[in-house]
Amino acid sequence: MIKAILVFNNHGKPRLSKFYQYFNEELQQQIIKETFQLVSKRDDNVCNFLEGGSLIGGSDYKLIYRHYATLYFVFCVDSSESELGILDLIQVFVETLDKCFENVCELDLIFHVDKVHYILNELVMGGMVLETNMTEIITRIDDQNKLEKQEAGLAAAPARAVSAVKNMNLPQQIKDIKLPDLPAAIKDLKF
Amino acid sequence: MADAFGTDIPKLLVSGETMDVVKQSAALCLLRLFRTTQEIIPGGEWTSRIIHLLNEQHMGVVTAACSLIEALVKKNPDEYKGCVSLAVSRLSRPWALWLPEARYPPAGPLEGTLWTSTPAPWLSVKLLRLLQHYPPPEDPGVRGRLNECLDTILNKAQEPPKSKKVQHSNAKNAVLFEAISIIIHSDSEPNLLVRGCNQLGQFLSHRETNLRYLALETMCLLATSEFSHEAVKKHQETVINALKTERDVSVRQRAVDLLYAMCDRSNAEEIVQEMLNYLETADYSIREEMVLKVAILAEKYAQDYTWYVDVILNLIRIAGDYVSEEVWYRVIQIVVNREDVQGYAAKTVFEALQAPACHENMVKVGGYILGEFGNLIAGDSRSAPAVQFQLLHSKYHLCSPGTRALLLTTYIKFINLFPEIKTQIQDVLKSNSNLRSSDAELQQRASEYLHLSVITTTDVLATVLEEMPPFTEKESSILAVLKKKSGRMSAQEAQREARVQAREGNAAPAVEKTQTAQMNNSTSADLLGLSTPPANQNNTQSNTGVLVDVLGDLYGGGGSGGGSNTNTHNGTAAPSPASTSGATDNIKKFVCKNNGVLYENDIIQIGIKSEFRQNLGRIGIFYGNKTSMPLQAFCPSVSVGLAQQGKVTVQVKPVEPTIDAGAQVQQLVNCECVEDFTGLPDLIVSFTYANVPQRLALHLPLSINKFFEPTDMNGESFFARWKNLSAPSQEAQKIFKCSGAMETAAIKTKLLGFGMQLLEGIDPNPENFVCAAIIHTRTQQIGCLLRLEPNRQAQMYRLTIRASKESTSGILAELLAEQF
Repeated sequence: MIKAILVFNNHGKPRLSKFYQYFNEELQQQIIKETFQLVSKRDDNVCNFLEGGSLIGGSDYKLIYRHYATLYFVFCVDSSESELGILDLIQVFVETLDKCFENVCELDLIFHVDKVHYILNELVMGGMVLETNMTEIITRIDDQNKLEKQEAGLAAAPARAVSAVKNMNLPQQIKDIKLPDLPAAIKDLKF
Repeated sequence: MADAFGTDIPKLLVSGETMDVVKQSAALCLLRLFRTTQEIIPGGEWTSRIIHLLNEQHMGVVTAACSLIEALVKKNPDEYKGCVSLAVSRLSRPWALWLPEARYPPAGPLEGTLWTSTPAPWLSVKLLRLLQHYPPPEDPGVRGRLNECLDTILNKAQEPPKSKKVQHSNAKNAVLFEAISIIIHSDSEPNLLVRGCNQLGQFLSHRETNLRYLALETMCLLATSEFSHEAVKKHQETVINALKTERDVSVRQRAVDLLYAMCDRSNAEEIVQEMLNYLETADYSIREEMVLKVAILAEKYAQDYTWYVDVILNLIRIAGDYVSEEVWYRVIQIVVNREDVQGYAAKTVFEALQAPACHENMVKVGGYILGEFGNLIAGDSRSAPAVQFQLLHSKYHLCSPGTRALLLTTYIKFINLFPEIKTQIQDVLKSNSNLRSSDAELQQRASEYLHLSVITTTDVLATVLEEMPPFTEKESSILAVLKKKSGRMSAQEAQREARVQAREGNAAPAVEKTQTAQMNNSTSADLLGLSTPPANQNNTQSNTGVLVDVLGDLYGGGGSGGGSNTNTHNGTAAPSPASTSGATDNIKKFVCKNNGVLYENDIIQIGIKSEFRQNLGRIGIFYGNKTSMPLQAFCPSVSVGLAQQGKVTVQVKPVEPTIDAGAQVQQLVNCECVEDFTGLPDLIVSFTYANVPQRLALHLPLSINKFFEPTDMNGESFFARWKNLSAPSQEAQKIFKCSGAMETAAIKTKLLGFGMQLLEGIDPNPENFVCAAIIHTRTQQIGCLLRLEPNRQAQMYRLTIRASKESTSGILAELLAEQF
């Protein structure tokens, strides 16, 4: 089971944290801090698995991480997960982010936290891996985006109605009403 | 919340109409709920329906179901046994069949090439993991198919990767590693094992650090299998190389683990030497573990104990700080126990101590060994007694008090071994820094040893300071430490440890661990208490003994003096409320036991011993006079109450009317159960003590459950009988809060004491207890069945009793409920 997914930058600033097991706020911060200290001092060419970390799980606890440019992606898992599998999952996650944001960078994670969480929710649910096929994930995210846009259309409808009413300019319209020329009509009347 | 959803979600999961995505989520959700509440998963037919999820078409559902089943299997392996063959058949489906719905190209159809070599790595990994919970399948067909699959996976690994991307091979290798671990797990296919080993060997020199790490880790497991042990040894060079050149600490750590695992008699010397070499430059974080491992290997595979001594002394020299107490205790134990190495050990430590800077642990070992066996090397002029003493004493000032204390003992032993340097040593003992040391232990030792050396004759000295007797051989204490340390290691590791031991032919049960822990304590006491002169110890002991005696007398006197006071006081207010409440408490306990103290106050103690057979019973009542005066007009009487009239008969033998001071008399009561009854017969004891009449109103511990005869039966007949007794009047149910802790063992004892046969493995829920018994009365036999369901969360019990006679179940439930 995946216990937590953490993303932080080279300075240890958390960019994304998702815990699948309950920890209180304070402990979460400690876990992030500890994980950063463990991970950040490692060279880039060492292996991506790490045992240790005292705060979650104890003995049955591994960190599997990957370092991309300015960001660390760390998955905290127990021994029931395959290391290489999780490594692959990180890759899928990152590539999906890349597809969705077009050249993803740290700022994307900051400004579109909601979207990142949506993507993560497609990938992992309740600490269990849900979907690992990237195209599938992207399709779902796209569907979601479409839905969002449609809903944005619905939400705007009343406002449009109001503005339409405002722009009507009633007096002018009354003036514009064409009435038939009565005297002439009368003249035309033949008795 | 788990309860609320407990019924709906499993339905969603197995229903045919549910959408695949929903099914997948339902499986994961159920897993989540299962982790919070274990009872959530319905049993019975659901089991097979859940297992059959493995046959689903949708990959996501199968993967999710796999996770769910794996969790379930952990709790209840037998119930889900059926999943093995299904999982194997799923694995062995032609790989190509999966392609149309290959949901897993990890990076999508990149560059137009569909990534096809492993269709669903996640699923394969999950299935392989699941299979690891079971022994290799017995059915040869299933087994053959599984082996075929594993073979395919190994073959696939040989194919050159289609894509250069590392990520692609990750997935493939994930499957490969799982396949290898299942091969190791089943440990029965030598062919596959060796192939797996070769594959791992390739990975050992792979460019990817991750693969090297995993290869080392997996190989550790592999090394414990007897088939592949030799194959693993082929890679020894590579591993040692990894140890030296690897840049990553965690990989080096794995290399150490592997070396430890692959070590045997043939390569022990080489491996230990390599590890020692590496230790000098090793990372601090792994030094301690390495030291332990070296120490264990050296001991386990030592053919020649001089080699062992060398290794350990080297160890102390190189990494003294990391040598724990257990390690040097152990070397001393071995030296003491083996005469052949004692001389060599003495010589080596003497040489080692000559180094200008040597570690404190070395001083400790040196001090101890020279103290015991210094005489063996004293013949040589270079290591004459005086030289030995000077050498040790030159280190004395640099050491901590603990070591100094040990050295002082060495000195006193020297006095015995070498009388010629006695004055020299006495001077040291007399020196202010010892005799007036701020450390109490040092001060005590110095003064005691000094006086010992001055006062006693050489004979006494020789006896007191005799060589230590050999230690009793037990499992190496170091191993226990390593086990303790490796608590942080994964379960896999623990399993490996167990297998190593199994291979060594001394599978150590868990008990032994505690034993060694105890032994640790005792050795430490032995070594540090070293040879504090026994005479002295006796002295202090007897001193305190006297002190206790005096106090005891004091209290005793006071007690008896005050006792008479309280007695008279008690006497006036004949059965005082306090005493009766104590009595009722005791009587409750007797429901579940036949012997014990029924009542006790300052004057009298009443004990019970009883035995029952069929509908007859015999109760012995013991009256003990605790005072120093006789009890007069002693008259106990037993009578059946109205409730029991005609249902129980009792015959009481008369007793003497006087109980002498401190004496005990016995009264026999024969009883017979005519039919089921409630309540207890009365026992009234009256006597005069110090001319004051006393009267105790008690009860005789004779309840209906005493006439139980435990009955054994199997699950089938139990349930058949249970169903037979389904009339509502035959059943009595009680739900009540527990008053104490809910310990399984305690509950069992109570149920057994209650007199029923505990039937284990019958109730599907192992937490529950079921019992059966027959009550014998003169007129009939009453069959009784019991079911006790503890609910730990709520701290409540539900007790259900069914009996063939209607009134009995209620009586029994009443009786037993009070016991929890």
